[in-house]
Amino acid sequence: MLRLAGTRKTGWSLAVRTDEELIAEILDGQTAAFSELAARYRPRVERLCQRFFSDPETARDLAQESFIRAYTSLSTYRREMPFGAWLRAIATNLCYDELRRRQRRPEELIADFTASEMQWMNLVNEATPEEIVSAAEQLREAHDMAHRLLDSLRPEDRTVLILRESEGMNVAEIARTMGWSEAKVKIRAFRARRFLRKQAERMKSALGSRTCG
Amino acid sequence: MLNCFEARRRFPSFWKRELQAEARAELTEHLRNCGRCDEAFRAFALTAPVLHSDSAPAGEFPRRVGSSGGFQARRPAALARREAGRRRLAASAAAMLLVAASMAAYLAVTAPIGTLSDELSVEPPVSQIFGMDPNSPGDDLAG
Repeated sequence: MLRLAGTRKTGWSLAVRTDEELIAEILDGQTAAFSELAARYRPRVERLCQRFFSDPETARDLAQESFIRAYTSLSTYRREMPFGAWLRAIATNLCYDELRRRQRRPEELIADFTASEMQWMNLVNEATPEEIVSAAEQLREAHDMAHRLLDSLRPEDRTVLILRESEGMNVAEIARTMGWSEAKVKIRAFRARRFLRKQAERMKSALGSRTCG
Repeated sequence: MLNCFEARRRFPSFWKRELQAEARAELTEHLRNCGRCDEAFRAFALTAPVLHSDSAPAGEFPRRVGSSGGFQARRPAALARREAGRRRLAASAAAMLLVAASMAAYLAVTAPIGTLSDELSVEPPVSQIFGMDPNSPGDDLAG
């Protein structure tokens, strides 16, 4: 049955229930409606988690946990912010906590490259921009190297970078999501970019010395 | 003529192949002539496969959430690991208590009655000793 009032319409002119309608149903005891809500946001949440963790299982687990948190905390959701933004804040905080829990040694120099990783880096150094984009779509090494670089960032810096670059959030939105001051977000963003630039230079010189040697 | 600020602003769209042919040509032309932007693009390319890739996840997301059978919560590995840690902590505390109880029993035999054995006669729960409740839920992040 199609509902007309307060619904969204898809390109096929089929009415779908809004997030608010689904949330109202869930809070009213119709928990099955959460399945529809979760299916709607699953790709976005999982993609966000994959930007934090290269391991697919970890990313899936954190995405799953985000939905569990959202489900169990749904009564605290306020409509001042869209449900998607609220869910993203939950997922981001979970990923950030997991990054901190793992306590990787931050800012360590990336020094060990496989032969295929070196090929990718050579390509980045020498090919045209168009060739780089085409190659990145096909090479697993491009993805792995990107994760290795991001892994070397501190959790705060990485979180800000992902929210700023991938999610397109502004400083105020990031500050609200993470419960940080805007000054802290700005500093972290600056640090992250500066550090990545330095890492890229180091990698380039390491690559050069290997080629020479 | 494209300036450096606008050129760098176009990097993500260029990476996702969202630029029109004319805008793309402008950018590549700019990169050919501007060494600093060219270098910035190559640095951008090192993290773009993660930060600016919108491709669908390679693995299929398990259909535990969003399946037709309604929402079925699964204990994720991260949560399970944390709880395993708490269980290990509780087990360690229990072992320490056992050792303490053994010492108390030994001292009760060797020391005068009414000292240490009396103090250990009522064992406080592990949660009180460590100031934590192992059954409490995790941090609420939704607030």
